[in-house]
Amino acid sequence: MKQWFVLFNKEWLEILRSYRIIWLPIGFIVLGASQPIATFFMPDILASAGNMPEGAVIRIPTPQPFEVMAGALSQFGVIGLLLVALSGMGAISGEKASGTAAMVLVKPVSHVSFVTAKWAALLLLAVLSFAAGYGAAWYYTASLFDSVGWGEVVQSALLFALWLGFVGTLALLFSSLLRSAAAATFGALATAAVLSIASSSLPFEQSWNPGRLSGLAAESLNAGAASPGDGQGAVWLTVIVTATAMLAALAASARSLKRMPSND
Amino acid sequence: MDNLTNSQWISLIVPLLIVQLILIAVALTVLVKADRTRGPKWLWAIVIVLVNLLGPIAFFLFGRRSD
Repeated sequence: MKQWFVLFNKEWLEILRSYRIIWLPIGFIVLGASQPIATFFMPDILASAGNMPEGAVIRIPTPQPFEVMAGALSQFGVIGLLLVALSGMGAISGEKASGTAAMVLVKPVSHVSFVTAKWAALLLLAVLSFAAGYGAAWYYTASLFDSVGWGEVVQSALLFALWLGFVGTLALLFSSLLRSAAAATFGALATAAVLSIASSSLPFEQSWNPGRLSGLAAESLNAGAASPGDGQGAVWLTVIVTATAMLAALAASARSLKRMPSND
Repeated sequence: MDNLTNSQWISLIVPLLIVQLILIAVALTVLVKADRTRGPKWLWAIVIVLVNLLGPIAFFLFGRRSD
């Protein structure tokens, strides 16, 4: 356990040195805050954009506060995921290429703790950044529109954080399987995109699909709806399947690192 | 824009601007201090200042050379 914390501290130091501790939270905060602001000024933006015939009247209903928060979540779901995947880019493939992984792993360090320490540091950073950004979105929504209840916000934040964690884990897995950091980022994002498109477009029931999580998070913001998705049980099923998939991905990347600790 | 007073308006926009300025300032400091960057420094300076949010992030990700 002590060894694990040493590795974790090393990862955290790396996060500080590469300035990820600065740009990832700021990226999320700017994304989260600009969504309510853009929604609030949308009528003015449209009015000044021109191309409107004289006397055209645009009526945009004031969106519900939870819809604004859901808009922020969909921003996080696109650009936020990209930022998280980029921040985990080269996490393992870089260490394999530079030979650091091989050098650490000749010592009596378990492959599992090497991988999980990296994973924990990456996910901690991603979750903290997301919390900061979601907090900003909440504050701006409350000041420009109306407040959204604690319970709904926390529930949706937990669901979305799980989705972010899933994509971060995928980025780590692909980073240990593929040589190129860019290919690893692309692989993780493409998998996430396929799962999430499948969950929203395929006609059959998919309670197992982790791609549902971002949609569930957006739905659970709506206090008026009975319960998100197809009931509480289906939500728990998604959560359990996602957690299992994350564990399997960690095991797979530890295994691949054991088989090939360096590129040559 | 009608139902916001000037000071409310400022209290909403200023924090967002400050956060972005911090990001730009840190990126520029790192850029100036760096011995070598991937690509010319003046080009990175333009990208950092002009490309909103993604410019500094792109510099942190792709511009720095660790060796």
